[in-house]
Parts: sequence; structure tokens; C-alpha cells
Amino acid sequence: MTRYSARVYRLAYGITRSAADAEEVVQDVFLQIVNKGAGFEGRAALSSWIYRITTNVSLNKRRGKHRELETSLDELLPTYLPDGHRAGERAFLVADWSGTPESELLSGESRRILEAAIDRLPEHYRAVLVLKDVEELSSDEVAEIVGDSVAAVKTRLHRARMALREQLTRRLGAGA
Amino acid sequence: MTCREAIDVLADYVEGTMPADLAAELERHLAGCDPCRAYLATYRATRALVSAAADVEMPDEMKTRLRRFLAAQLRTS
Repeated sequence: MTRYSARVYRLAYGITRSAADAEEVVQDVFLQIVNKGAGFEGRAALSSWIYRITTNVSLNKRRGKHRELETSLDELLPTYLPDGHRAGERAFLVADWSGTPESELLSGESRRILEAAIDRLPEHYRAVLVLKDVEELSSDEVAEIVGDSVAAVKTRLHRARMALREQLTRRLGAGA
Repeated sequence: MTCREAIDVLADYVEGTMPADLAAELERHLAGCDPCRAYLATYRATRALVSAAADVEMPDEMKTRLRRFLAAQLRTS
């Protein structure tokens, strides 16, 4: 149980962004594992199935909730001039907060900004983000789990990272 | 390569899945473009931050409730 409960909770929390909802997802998923019994051909098949069922149950749990928090990603993606250069003030375009220690970025106001930015992502984007950047699955594996094409997974992941980067840079860029 | 084209392919670049010739072209662009270098650095940092922030652990009391829940389910099944 311990082997799988950690990753089920991590993924469920990553998608639902609620400890209470994640707990219900974990219970639901483990109930399905118990009911499914030994019908898996090896650990890899079980692991993949667990990720798939956790993603589906988490997305269902989110359905209709907190939509007001979610923002349109389009306004958080880079904009360009007709010649292909990025549009915007140069001071913002070259703002680089990446040298700030991670421990500092993961605490206080920076942490709050990051968590709020993750909250505002649409849940399908959060699912791909967690599967790829936290669970470190391949794009092929993520595509199979979420039932989408590899190209769609890569696009969603890139857009999610860009949207988070933009929000962090708007808040941290000038002071970094 | 323009900034738009460079940013479009950053995901493959940071994951090391980009063909060598395209990676070389991107690196030539990055060498002469401060905004894209800053974008790449903060894109990488964002990825690392998300990975660290989302690596949450199930609280101990929740683990206990899950064990009890499963034990009860197994008894009734």
C-alpha cells in the first residue's frame, strides 16, 4: 500500500488541490485496486493503471468546482512582434529570478504566488504537469494515462509551464 | 531562428529530446538574445519549483484512516 499511496496522493492532490478531495480519491482508487484483485500483468501495468484511474477520479472530483479560480492561459503566454521578437518592456523581458535560492522561492510570499498560480491552471493542465514534472513519466506514458496524443500532452505541458513562469516573473521579476 | 520559434521549442530543449542540429540553432539564438536566455533560465526554474512544491506527502493521520478504511472494506467484501 505504501508504495502506491504516496504517488496516488501526490497526483490526486496535484490535480484537485484539496487535501480532503485527495483523501477521497485515494480511498476510491484503493477500493478499485482491492476490487480489481490480481488482474494485472506485472507491476508496470498496475502502476500505469493506478495513474490512469487516479487521474480520472481526480478530474471527476474537480468537475464543476472552483472554475472561477481558473484563468485563461492565453493571457499568460508570451506575445510577439510581427518580426518574431517578444513584445514588452525590455526590463521585464530580461527579468531573471532564477538565481534566487530555491529554498527562498519555496517559502513565504514566493511560495504563495506559486501555489496560487498552480491553483489557477485548468485541472487538465495540472494533471499533465504533475505526471510529467513530479512523477517524471515520459510524454508517451502521460499521453496513455490521460487518453490524449503525445503532441497534445507536450503542448499542454509547455503552456502550463509558460503560464506559471509568466505569473512568477510578473511578481518576482522586478525584485529578483 | 526568431524568439517565437525559440520559445516554441524550449520544452524539448530542456528535456534533451531535441535533434542536435535544432539544439545548435537554438543555442546560437540564445547566445545573442538576452530576453530568450532569461526566458529559458526562468522556464527551467519554474519546472524545478513545480516539481519541488508539488512533491507533497500524505499526512500520517490520513494514512491511518486509509488503513482503517481498507481493513473495513476487506472485512465486508
